[in-house]
Amino acid sequence: MKRLLLALVLLLPTVAMAGSLKPLTAAEVPALLQPPAHGERIIALWALDCAYCEPNLEALAALQRAHPHEIELLTVTTDSAGQHEAIEARLRSMQMTGYPAYAYAEASPEQINFLLDSSWGGETPRVLVIRADGSRVGISGALTPAQLQKLR
Amino acid sequence: MRRLLIILLCLLSPALLAHEGMSVDMPKGPELGASAAFDSHGRLYLVDAADDHVRLRHSDDDGRTLSVPVEVNAIAEPIYAEGENRPKIAFGPHDELYVSWSQPRAKPWTGFVRFARSLDRGEHFSKPLTVHHDHAEITHRFDALAVDGNGRIVIAWIDKRDLIAATAQSKPYLGAAVYYSWSDDGGASFVPERKLVDQSCECCRIALARLPDGRIATFFRNIYGDNIRDHAYAVLRTDGQASQLERATFSDWQIAGCPHHGPGLAIGSDGVRHAVWYEAKGKPTIWYGQLDLGHAPQHPLAIATAGASHADIAVHKRTLWVVWNQVDAHGNALMLRRSNDNGAHFDAPHEIARNNGAVGSPQLLQKQGRAFVAWNTAAGFRLIEMPR
Repeated sequence: MKRLLLALVLLLPTVAMAGSLKPLTAAEVPALLQPPAHGERIIALWALDCAYCEPNLEALAALQRAHPHEIELLTVTTDSAGQHEAIEARLRSMQMTGYPAYAYAEASPEQINFLLDSSWGGETPRVLVIRADGSRVGISGALTPAQLQKLR
Repeated sequence: MRRLLIILLCLLSPALLAHEGMSVDMPKGPELGASAAFDSHGRLYLVDAADDHVRLRHSDDDGRTLSVPVEVNAIAEPIYAEGENRPKIAFGPHDELYVSWSQPRAKPWTGFVRFARSLDRGEHFSKPLTVHHDHAEITHRFDALAVDGNGRIVIAWIDKRDLIAATAQSKPYLGAAVYYSWSDDGGASFVPERKLVDQSCECCRIALARLPDGRIATFFRNIYGDNIRDHAYAVLRTDGQASQLERATFSDWQIAGCPHHGPGLAIGSDGVRHAVWYEAKGKPTIWYGQLDLGHAPQHPLAIATAGASHADIAVHKRTLWVVWNQVDAHGNALMLRRSNDNGAHFDAPHEIARNNGAVGSPQLLQKQGRAFVAWNTAAGFRLIEMPR
């Protein structure tokens, strides 16, 4: 029994991580775009094939930690959720597992791009800021320190 | 203890279920990166990737039916076949069939550019070779393939060897380099690669087109100053001379990121360089223009804006076609604009096909003055003739 318990305890973090990567379908996009009750929701869009995305995610995580009550940070990879093993491994190596994480789960990724932000051409990284007042800002490319400061 | 075990099992099961559910929901089937070309007999050939093989199919009825696939690489290997990375096909002067692709290596963003040829109309292929002589496990990918007027096979790609060397010396280096090589012996071997440029964009396909004199020109997204991602143009010299690079677009889109939108180039028999490219300095826009090296392009026209991606361009005499994917909330439309006066004016955009699933980048092809667009979709490959 003890051995089984130990095995389960050891298994728990990896499985919990695997389960926390959520598939994002077109139907679920409107919920993500709902304004938060207060502060900002920051949707950090990234891709496995984007070397600029890692430092950008780290910078956004640092910003969120500085304003934990105002900023709700979540990550969305434009890669197919079918690649969940590679995505989860990258999230772990970037130490981003503490944030809600989504991966595209629609046959046409361009369609989710368009639904998330019709003024976005799919370039990564992309940050979408949704404020409590309903306003939205989208920024492409790794954020400069000045851009980061303006996010909130 | 038992209670703890039960709690742990309860915690595990939803996680396992979520995991299981995710894999069930995923789209299946081959990736949609594909290329097509007509041989001199008018037979259509198509390459894409499935199960770690580049596969070749042909059609004698303009794409309505496709042959049983032939495997280009007999031994399975990973193949990039999505987005801007897709297998390529081109023909030599006597219908020699050339295929190139990028092979992912173990580490993220790495790859080798691979090549194989068939001298019997695609029935058998040579053992694939790695085009570059540098075999470091780094980025060599986003291959582009063309055959010049003398039958030389020219391949250009994105290469990170100089980025890695600079980083090792703590020197700043933006993006990646463009390298190219060519084969003088019909693809039996490739000459040691040459560097075209340092610090260019690392994630956009490279466009190649043949000049009236037979040489191959390239048009690709470069980096100017602090991550200004405008485009450069050069003739890829194969005579030992250095290729002269010139800035060819002046959109001033600054982005420290991956646009994943490479340009298109078509050169008329009059030498006019017709180009399409994407930038999102303001709203995302696909532009048309005639390259005027060192200056902003002539006759610029915003072909399409939000939701438009992956344009291609072709020219025949004074007729131009521009096609692209246009996404909306319902799916993807394949769009066309045509010019009958060598690019001075274009007609209004119109939809020529639609698919509500996944679609690959459209590619324009020509056969005896007729233009077609090859469009690989999750619902199958389509070849659509342009309205005359």
